Amino acid sequence: MSVDPKNQAAEEDLRLPFDDEAGHGTGKRDLAGLLIAVALFALALVIINDASGYPIRRSYAKFGPEIVPYLIASGICVMAVITAIMAWRGAFEARDPLNIGALSWLVGGIVIEIFMLYGGTGFIAGSAVLFAFAARAFGQATLALNLAIGAVLSTLLYLLFRYGLGLSLPAGPVERAIDLLLR
Amino acid sequence: MDTFILLFEGLATATQPSNLMFALLGVMLGTAVGVMPGIGPALTVALLLPVSLSFGATGSMIMFAGIYYGGMYGGAISSILLNTPGETASIMTALEGNRMAKRGKGGKALGAAAFGSFFGGMFATLGLAVVAPFMVMVALSFGTAEYFALMVLSFMTVSAAFGGSMSRGLTALFIGLTIGIVGTDKLTGQVRLAFGIPEMSDNISIAIVAVGLFAIGETMYLASQYVNHKEKAQAVSGSVWLNWGDFKRCMRPYIRGTGLGFLFGPLPTGGAEIPTFLSYTTEKRLATGEARREFDEGLGAIEGVAGPEAANNASAAGTLIPLLTLGLPTSATAAMMLAGFQQYGLQPGPLLFTNNADLVWGLVASLFIANLMLVVLNVPFIGIWVKLLTIPRPWLYAGILCFATLGIVGAQGSPFALILLLGFGLIGFVMRRFGYPLAPALVGAILGPLAEEQLRRGLMINQGDWMFLIESRIALAIYAIALLSVFGPRLWALLRKANRKASAAA
Repeated sequence: MSVDPKNQAAEEDLRLPFDDEAGHGTGKRDLAGLLIAVALFALALVIINDASGYPIRRSYAKFGPEIVPYLIASGICVMAVITAIMAWRGAFEARDPLNIGALSWLVGGIVIEIFMLYGGTGFIAGSAVLFAFAARAFGQATLALNLAIGAVLSTLLYLLFRYGLGLSLPAGPVERAIDLLLR
Repeated sequence: MDTFILLFEGLATATQPSNLMFALLGVMLGTAVGVMPGIGPALTVALLLPVSLSFGATGSMIMFAGIYYGGMYGGAISSILLNTPGETASIMTALEGNRMAKRGKGGKALGAAAFGSFFGGMFATLGLAVVAPFMVMVALSFGTAEYFALMVLSFMTVSAAFGGSMSRGLTALFIGLTIGIVGTDKLTGQVRLAFGIPEMSDNISIAIVAVGLFAIGETMYLASQYVNHKEKAQAVSGSVWLNWGDFKRCMRPYIRGTGLGFLFGPLPTGGAEIPTFLSYTTEKRLATGEARREFDEGLGAIEGVAGPEAANNASAAGTLIPLLTLGLPTSATAAMMLAGFQQYGLQPGPLLFTNNADLVWGLVASLFIANLMLVVLNVPFIGIWVKLLTIPRPWLYAGILCFATLGIVGAQGSPFALILLLGFGLIGFVMRRFGYPLAPALVGAILGPLAEEQLRRGLMINQGDWMFLIESRIALAIYAIALLSVFGPRLWALLRKANRKASAAA
């Protein structure tokens, strides 16, 4: 969400955000863009397949719960065609190189947290691991320090939300110990 | 002067200790996130949606509005000291503000921004209190056709105005609409797009969609770029208090900025971007004498900070007019607030003013209080907020991620909710990477089901005849506005380009 003001600062050329559409395309055929178009088509098919299975009802409306899904599916089809044309013509802007490593740390952190939360290790441990992984994704490589800060933060969050707001969070050994201490 | 009586009663609601606390919490959070680059008020409200369920409707709405206003104040700080606007509303502030900071006048720029935000916020909130009851009177005569037209207007403009590309905006909108139909159909009980998963046959919680797209998706996007997160913040130099000479220079920009912000805020053109842009260009064009020299030589003119900062706060107040009176969100943060209302089973619109008058007027009154709190927080205590800029980015984003999952775990408490959250995060990431705006997806998911209800109710009343949609004159006028607000700016840009070419040829 942070926007680089330098692009906007070029004196003569202050543009409204929507002045031109896809004006800085690469001009090269964009495989990833075509993939988006295919995904959109697939989504439309899924919606149509789902909507065609609804039982037919007779009502004053003449249209049942299937009408809006059909409308949305046709809209998505139109957008898929436009996306395909855009990708074919290279109308998507050039993208920065993708930092796959960082992305894997992040997604991995969330997946591990899900397993930990519902595997019985409790909120604090799971959240601390997520914190460490996420910080690693952003280039902070000292794992022990990350884990320590994550643990402190998660404990504070647990205390605040468990006791301050009464939210129920998955409990493990650490949480049960805290609950015993505070009771 | 019914309004002022109601406002006075609202003041009684707003000054209850618990509500004062929520307002203070909101403005502090809002300023904090406004200061930190990369997270804006929309994301913050999204993060707080799931946990706010225990705050009560009035309390959480007061807090959300405080975050919205606070974000506008705080955004100025990172713009001026770091040249990295915390959110789009502060882009224009960075232009002159950062130049001032580099010349050792950062304090003055921050002062001009804070007082400008106060001025814009106060007068536009007053405008909101005066205009809203009239809007309610108009809106009370609306039927299904008019409401459907209003939602189409919202869909069109939100897709056209956010981000750069209309087709990508519309694609995002349709993705949102698809999310909106998942679950049990309200009118017939038909389960749609649930694929036999019990959690999906209840509708997908908007909190999961919002947190996934905005918080998880945005963090993934930031992590996926090889960016060196080490910018250097300018120190606050000089006093933040303005002297009489500065005030004289700021007064007119304040007034013009407030006018522009209040005018454009309620229009479905995407919040504060356009009014701040117009305010900046106006001040630049009108500058004379000392200001002219500062603009031209890139020294940083105080007018260029004062105008846009008044405009973005005024537009925040203006945005609340269509949100509260019609239930139409015109900015991403407003869409989040709409989701907040819906969590409590409240539907913003004319009926909200009659059924929940104490909530509405308590909220409006609390906006005045929030503004007072903010000017105190942002002028004498500015140093505290500047410290926030020194939090290392890895820990900042890691903390956001922990908080995001905490909210969903606490409110939903199922592994499936978290898997869904990760899924929306990945969708949000792909959208961001390919330049798709996120706001239309959110507005589609929130307003889609309401639009469907209006459409199908209308079809039922009119026995399946679609013509009812275009038989109402008001509805037709709204469609005309939708077309104009989508194609008008494009035409204007074309005309300007043609003009420039003509003058270049001459």
